Amino acid sequence: MSREEVFERLNAVFQDVFDDPSITVNDSTTADDIEDWDSLEHINLIAAVESEFGIKFSMGQVVTMKNVGEMADIILQKL
Amino acid sequence: MSITSFSFLCFFAAVLLLYYLIPKKAQWGFLLLVSCVFFLFSVRAADGGWYVVFCPLASVAAVYVAARLIDRTKEQKKKKAALICAVLFCIGLLCALKFFHLGLIAPMGISFYTLTLLGYLFDVYYEIGTVQNNYGKLLLFGCYFPTLVSGPIMKYKEMEGQLYQGRRFDYRRVTFGMQRMLWGFFKKLVISERMALVANEVFDNYGKYAGFEIWVGAVAFTFQLYTDFGGCMDIVLGISECFGIKLPENFNAPFLARNISEYWRRWHISLGNWLREYLFYPLLRTRFFMELPKKLKARLGKKGAKQATTFSAMFLLWFAIGYWHGGTWNYIIGSGLLHWFYIVSGELMEPVFARWRAFLHIEKEQRWFVWFARLRTFFLVTLGLVFFRNAEVLDAVRMIGRGFLAFNPQIFFNGTLFSLGLDWIEAVIAVVSLAILGWVSRLQQTEPVRERLEKRGILLRWAVLYALLFYVILLGQYGPGYSASEFIYQNFRV
Repeated sequence: MSREEVFERLNAVFQDVFDDPSITVNDSTTADDIEDWDSLEHINLIAAVESEFGIKFSMGQVVTMKNVGEMADIILQKL
Repeated sequence: MSITSFSFLCFFAAVLLLYYLIPKKAQWGFLLLVSCVFFLFSVRAADGGWYVVFCPLASVAAVYVAARLIDRTKEQKKKKAALICAVLFCIGLLCALKFFHLGLIAPMGISFYTLTLLGYLFDVYYEIGTVQNNYGKLLLFGCYFPTLVSGPIMKYKEMEGQLYQGRRFDYRRVTFGMQRMLWGFFKKLVISERMALVANEVFDNYGKYAGFEIWVGAVAFTFQLYTDFGGCMDIVLGISECFGIKLPENFNAPFLARNISEYWRRWHISLGNWLREYLFYPLLRTRFFMELPKKLKARLGKKGAKQATTFSAMFLLWFAIGYWHGGTWNYIIGSGLLHWFYIVSGELMEPVFARWRAFLHIEKEQRWFVWFARLRTFFLVTLGLVFFRNAEVLDAVRMIGRGFLAFNPQIFFNGTLFSLGLDWIEAVIAVVSLAILGWVSRLQQTEPVRERLEKRGILLRWAVLYALLFYVILLGQYGPGYSASEFIYQNFRV
């Protein structure tokens, strides 16, 4: 899977989790850019991303990923 | 040794002087030595069993060994076993000494250093933190003396680059640290001790009072606790700043919070962060909580299922917060489950509130509405603290009941107010001091006040600092036994 495809699928997941079809994410998107992305939604988001790609993040990755770019890197590693 | 006592200030002055005189390489070892001495003093002051000396040594040893094992072995099973053993040992020790009331004395700072150490261990386990292979250095991390009083809970990642590094004397850093200490003394000695007089009077004799008298007492306790704990943090962070070590902030103007969730991001920040990262996240990542939304989806819908899952995990989180504060129901309710109830009902009611706001043409960002939200949050917090301050839950309920029993605004005009522990001069000092505190807190939100002062001329800076110093010296309430004015968070949570 290419990085672009990963981002395309991530967009769909983000739109679904945050109930906002206008969301598009890129490498530097962080929790500050999306209004409802607080610590609670973060876990929901992680769970949704995991089931979308059929992977599992480690707890360390969950708390340290800084932006969507890092998330995409980890996903590509795990696929 | 109370950190507002004269003997502590002498101790601190001597330590600071020596710290910058000795070779840089020896500085961390010196801090470790000082921490041990400070701890021993506290044991003697508490007149406790000498066994408590071994508690921090044992907890640090358990975490030290487990972290090294986890780092070295490749087998996931062994890693997990080491983690579980060390966590059980530390939590067990904490519970046995503090929560189970076995008649044992808990060592100073145990609730704080236990979390600090476990955070380090979890980070090693999650492979996001480095391992410390020097027992002495880890001991310093766990028992760094300013944090023994009442936190903040430290993160190893933030401390490892600071604690063991040698430093040369830096005039700006040391003066900044001392200014922060002075500000802490202002909060503690001028405000908190005065608020305590009112709070003690009303809480201890609540049967005598009703209506606004009750609320004056309750609000006084809220301010007492904030200026006590917050002032203690200013002193602790100031002390540490003098050594060139920046500790994490624990408060960020909590009473400016507009809702309870925001309040917890501003009050006791290091505890909130710890519990979120090491309890709440892992909890939500367990199979049970991961599967729960799927099971509930049919009955509650997608959004409802997600909410129900989050709320049930939050219930455990808030129970833990309440329990950590002292293990009895007044804490579990007052700084735990009641807050859970606030947040959950706030979330569930939000669609209704939104409709009301639309109907009344209220914008959330309107100035008056922001202040209304802040006041509402303050009131909710104060209600919780009525439980916190009363040892018995029933007393808290009765006291709140009495608060609603009478409507007596006349007490603010007929002099009754001044029979609640502060005469009118003292009350004026208290109100003026609170106003200063509020004003400075708001300034701090846009730019650190110490930096603002630095930009002004030396004359103004020194005038302000001297004024504050004399304000504290002259108006500080030292109580009957000066050194006995200890901090609530120290007393309650040892």
